[in-house]
Amino acid sequence: MKLKFDYLTKCLLLLFVVMGTGGLAMAQRTIKGTVTDAQSGDALIGANVLIIGTSAGTITDIDGTYELNLPAGATEIEFTFTGYASQRIALTASNVYDVKMDAGSVLDEVVVVGYGTVRKSDLTGSVVSVGEEDFNKGVVVSPDQLIQGKAAGVQILNNSGQPGAGTTIRIRGNSSIRAGNQPLFVVDGVQLTGNATRPGANLGDGYSNNASSNPLSYLNPSDIESMQVLKDASATAIYGSRGANGVIIITTKKGRSGSPVIEFSPSLGFSSILKKYDVLSGDEYRNALNEYGLTTGNYGQSVNATDEILQTGIVQNYNMSISGGGDAGTYRAGFSYFDQDGIVKNSNLKRYTANLSGNYKFLNSKRIGLEWNLITSFTKEKAPPIATNSGFEGSLIGQALQWNPTSSLYNADGSPVVIPEFGNTSINPLAMLDAYHDNSSTIDLLGSISPYVKLTDALTYKFAYNVTHGVGDRKSYINSWINIAGITGNGVAGINNQRTTNQILTHSLSYMADITSGINLNAVAGYEYQKRSESGLSVSTGGFPLTDFDYTTILQSAKNTTNNSIQPYVNPDAYLQSFFARTNFNINDKYLLTATLRADGSSKFGSENQYGYFPAVGVAWNLHNEDFLSGGAFNSLKLRLGWGKTGNSEFPSGASQERYSVGFNGTNHTAGLDNVANPNLKWETTTNLNAGIDFAVFNYKLTGTLEYFNKSTEDLLFQNPTIQPAPASSYWINLPGKVLNTGVELSLNATLMDSESLTWDLGGNVTFLKNELQDYTGANIEYGQVFGQGSSGATIQKLVNGKPLNSFYTRHFIEIGENGQGVYEGGADETQDFRGDANPDVLLGISTSLSKDKWSFVLNFNGALGGMIYNNTKMSVIPISNLGTRNIDASLVGQDRLEATSNPIKASDRFLEKGDYLKLANATLSYSLGKLGNSVKNVRIYLTGQNLLVFTKYSGFDPEVNTVNVLNGLPSTGIEYIPYPSARSVVAGATFSF
Amino acid sequence: MKINKFLILLMVLSSFFACTDLEENLNDDLNFDQADEVLDAGILLSGAYSGMNGVYHGGGGMWGMNEHSSDEAIPPTRGGDWDDNGAWRQLALRNWTPEQGDVNNSFNGLLGQIFATTQVLTFGPSAAQEAEAKTLRALHVYNVADLFGQVPFREPGEDLLVAPRVMSANEAINLVISDVESSITNLPDGPATLANKDMAKALLMRAYLNKGVFADRAAPKFENADMQKVITLADEIINSGKYTLADNYFDNFAPNNNVISTENIFTMENVAGSRSNIRNHWFCVLHYNQNPSGWNGFATLSDFYDSFEDGDIRKGTDYPAMTDVSGVRAGFLIGQQYDQNGTALNDRKGNPLIFTPEVALVETGNNLEVTGIRVIKYPIDYYNGDNADNDLVIFRYADVLLMKAEALLRSGGSAGTALDIVNEIRAARNTTPLAALDLDQLLAERGREMYWEGIRRQDLIRFGKFLDAYQEKPAVGNERLLFPIPATALAVNPNLVQNPGY
Repeated sequence: MKLKFDYLTKCLLLLFVVMGTGGLAMAQRTIKGTVTDAQSGDALIGANVLIIGTSAGTITDIDGTYELNLPAGATEIEFTFTGYASQRIALTASNVYDVKMDAGSVLDEVVVVGYGTVRKSDLTGSVVSVGEEDFNKGVVVSPDQLIQGKAAGVQILNNSGQPGAGTTIRIRGNSSIRAGNQPLFVVDGVQLTGNATRPGANLGDGYSNNASSNPLSYLNPSDIESMQVLKDASATAIYGSRGANGVIIITTKKGRSGSPVIEFSPSLGFSSILKKYDVLSGDEYRNALNEYGLTTGNYGQSVNATDEILQTGIVQNYNMSISGGGDAGTYRAGFSYFDQDGIVKNSNLKRYTANLSGNYKFLNSKRIGLEWNLITSFTKEKAPPIATNSGFEGSLIGQALQWNPTSSLYNADGSPVVIPEFGNTSINPLAMLDAYHDNSSTIDLLGSISPYVKLTDALTYKFAYNVTHGVGDRKSYINSWINIAGITGNGVAGINNQRTTNQILTHSLSYMADITSGINLNAVAGYEYQKRSESGLSVSTGGFPLTDFDYTTILQSAKNTTNNSIQPYVNPDAYLQSFFARTNFNINDKYLLTATLRADGSSKFGSENQYGYFPAVGVAWNLHNEDFLSGGAFNSLKLRLGWGKTGNSEFPSGASQERYSVGFNGTNHTAGLDNVANPNLKWETTTNLNAGIDFAVFNYKLTGTLEYFNKSTEDLLFQNPTIQPAPASSYWINLPGKVLNTGVELSLNATLMDSESLTWDLGGNVTFLKNELQDYTGANIEYGQVFGQGSSGATIQKLVNGKPLNSFYTRHFIEIGENGQGVYEGGADETQDFRGDANPDVLLGISTSLSKDKWSFVLNFNGALGGMIYNNTKMSVIPISNLGTRNIDASLVGQDRLEATSNPIKASDRFLEKGDYLKLANATLSYSLGKLGNSVKNVRIYLTGQNLLVFTKYSGFDPEVNTVNVLNGLPSTGIEYIPYPSARSVVAGATFSF
Repeated sequence: MKINKFLILLMVLSSFFACTDLEENLNDDLNFDQADEVLDAGILLSGAYSGMNGVYHGGGGMWGMNEHSSDEAIPPTRGGDWDDNGAWRQLALRNWTPEQGDVNNSFNGLLGQIFATTQVLTFGPSAAQEAEAKTLRALHVYNVADLFGQVPFREPGEDLLVAPRVMSANEAINLVISDVESSITNLPDGPATLANKDMAKALLMRAYLNKGVFADRAAPKFENADMQKVITLADEIINSGKYTLADNYFDNFAPNNNVISTENIFTMENVAGSRSNIRNHWFCVLHYNQNPSGWNGFATLSDFYDSFEDGDIRKGTDYPAMTDVSGVRAGFLIGQQYDQNGTALNDRKGNPLIFTPEVALVETGNNLEVTGIRVIKYPIDYYNGDNADNDLVIFRYADVLLMKAEALLRSGGSAGTALDIVNEIRAARNTTPLAALDLDQLLAERGREMYWEGIRRQDLIRFGKFLDAYQEKPAVGNERLLFPIPATALAVNPNLVQNPGY
């Protein structure tokens, strides 16, 4: 495979040379004009002007004007602008062409779907398209955050407030009982692996197991033009065994023909904590000790440890791009530097990106073309000690919350206290910050090159070679002077690296033509081959001779040879070979049919199930084009119905094979069974039914979509422990049962005011979701582990037939009894039962934008209702039993009936809270200054606030955060445990166009 | 022409990617043939010994199931500590569920060891290796049958995706007896860390003694023939002359018990510095402010403590290399605790560290840190720290003697001989002789001699006392004579049937 990679590199180098020759075409004459909105007469900025039969063109400037050099033989030009009907004008002798564009057919925008594009009006599936103008603004590290709250049926939760942390994305609910519910991401036609490049650290679970990184964080959000969310099988079946969780297609910005456009956009932001836990202050703590008659625990000071570990996070972001093109092709180069200090000290993310893309056409006939794209990214991360699964010591956040507020954090000389006065097993969070070091750097590369040949006017052959490649390094250590059992006097250090390469090769033939009058056929068929390779090395050891040193540079000096770990890994390569085809029939723009079939053969599947077949059919009826509705109230009215099967094959390679791992047990070499073969192993199948209505009324002033979906997922993938007696191993199996997700989505967009000086748009989406596990005969599986003191082995979630996934199963807390002890349902039996689930019943997104003259003001809200959150932080980190030594939850004091300090820490619905929230996720005020002098075409300045308002009764850091831990193969959802807190940010920025 | 050249270029490019046959290479993992090259019966057998460490060591697991459910131990919930989702209270109250963690871990752990020993048989073992593997397997099979009443079982080389057959407790004990009897001549004579001839005999004694219990736990019948077997086997061990009662009872459990014990017949070897969980035996009981700083958990019950006479060495004694290092004594820790210099220790609140006889399953008082008499059965290994060297005792001579006494009583044999045996032990433990011996007294003596060795539940069941109410523990119904089959095991093996009452 190395050969091919070299080949790609050479091709790309060649293209850089070719690119330089663009824009040299000789001009015959120059035309110009102004493009305006037919109704308001407003200038349309950024409208495309294209010379038909060439790729030459330009875009309109701030005044809606354009200037274009016409090559010889040009006969016709086309004007296009998103949301407006395109217009073609035959060229005459005139050199001025003013055009008034009609917003009449808003639905006629082109939407990117897998392996091609379709007109939005031809869609039969459920696709939401979010363009740059609608993206969330502010501190956005990863592209998925751009569409948080923007698409009905899509829930995006941050797994942590740490810069660059991963998100939990659910499109129309959880389909899979295990991990692997994330949608497939496709960037400019390149399917991503979904794996983050940053390796895990291995200093011991309780310290370095931080929230996962975001696999998309290497993409610069400013390079993104639009994102499409494909939700139903009619849209995603073309991705076959990877389409079941939905697909998010990311399209990056491309150059446009015309003179070079240079854009520069710097921004500067400040972040602070969104919401703090209410723990006691020094004086409140002293009062509480008095209230409880405790004579110890007051050390005389008043400190706020949480404030001491926090900082104002400064975020800088600089984007620069140059784009343009000529007769023969277009290019764009975008560069960025992003530097975010997190709101917790010692956390930082720096990212450098370069994104180069181009499109070239060859021959006079322009029948041969080449598209290419190269995205490179270098990221450096510094992480604080915040783990998802710490024990009673807590990680940094827990240590700060627990710190006795009457005890000084500092020694007289200003250094942090190492052994706290109130107990030698407590850890000073400031000392922890000094002792803990975690630095990683990652390099990501995404390259694609795709030549194509227009064999006839209707038939195009396209070849694509894509590669994504990531190399991650992580070095971490904890100094030996910190008071952590096992680390004190020893220190630990680890070096981890990881390398992932995914290569995809695609041949496709596409056909688009009117086959008879009134019947249009848009079809694509192809073959695809993918290879994914993953490898890495993880080394860790402990017992260093120095108390303060970068141990990762002196691993050889470690004395704890029994704790040495050298763990290289080379996962089995995963091959995927696919055949796919899709046809769209359009009959008289009234009746639409989409039929899709993909066959996926995967080396991961068992030998008895090497190929999976994924069919889908969608039909739609454009009622507004029927005579009986024409001229009626509806500008547009379309009914859609789709059915299909898609797959989820997000399980590790080697899962169907018998595998042994080899080792050394101190005396002998050994080989242990890692995995039991299952030749029947296959993908998880989701059968999807989707019905929808799209409409537009009042001259497109009100548009909307109403959809119903029913997703049934069978052949549930699960990693079962072996059936005993057997080695301590596992096997992958498709369990009987199905996960049913049903729901209704409604999106509405209204133009409330639309005059020359003032426009006001209001949009919103609401989703009603229901989830249930049915016909499941497998084991009831306990998961949702809670962490902290007195909670060994405690779980609060349970997978059971007839209940939703992520159901909470725990005790019912009635009250604090007269003796100060908790009273639970069932008395001494402390009956456990189902107490609701973490899945929201309703998702909300609301956005409104107001433009007056050169000002515009945008507000985005998002929210969720009906989901529960388990506050493991409150339960385990700041319970009443801490009083006298460590800090406690402020709500525990001043109660009529005091909770006894002896009341056990016990998992129960006492800590299960309503997770309902509504957030003002985004508020942006911007002002267009227009032209500055002769060289600056436009300047826009803006001010964005993120998370300015949060309406919730949830007592933790953020109802939108999800601390993920996996137990028995199932990831927890809806549990908060001392996460990196969420931030509130204000960002000021500007965009200059030259 | 140009198009043709371009197409040729494309074809050249695409020829790099031939269609794949979807064959999967394992890269860093081995296939069966490669694993076979690494493994042999000897390696697997040594793995079968070391693997016991995950199942037999104390704290929770099988040990906790056998002790916390009995009259000699209690795992109190102490405020913020030891709630652990009620797992410990379930063991003490004997209201455990099929989801209880120790129930799951013991079932899976023991069956994993049954597999590990069976696997030795598929790799061409020598006669001696086969004998050791089968004898170890018999021990695990016996324990599964004792706890759960049914034993899933695979023959060597069975397909692991197929649900295995399930043996009843009767079938299981017959397999134990036949496997051990057929292996015994090929077993080594020692040492105690290997499955040896005397270990096989002790295991057979336990099997014969409990055979009637396994057949009917609520109303066991003890066949004379079985009791005679117990007596004969005991005499073989006694007459071998290899074992004597220890001068210091706690030598049997000391860090160097592999050298100084004169009683140990079979132990699970702990290797200092690398493989050991034995520290759980002291970490689970010691207070935070003792040395080492413990987890301040388990205690014994005052009713049980009161059954000891003063002067009985088993009740408590200073022990060299422990008491002089930290002040911690062997046996029961009650009252004020001291460090090695005789300085009184305090609890975390600054009050004197006085372990009280009073203890409740859920502690609610201000003294919840200090309630309950603590138990140090294994003298602490200060030299090796967390990876202590004390081998875990599974069979020892005093148990063999007491089993013989019991078989005599149950078979109408010489009561005088039985009394002599018990008094021989009591003399060695520095306590007064009994005047007479009945089954109740024998059970009490077994408690005093074998406390916290993970055998009490089995003893109480055999003597028909397990279901009774004890201090802090209400009486329970017949179904509690067996643990439930874990829910996860039932779901994957349809041949298992849940035990009655669960």
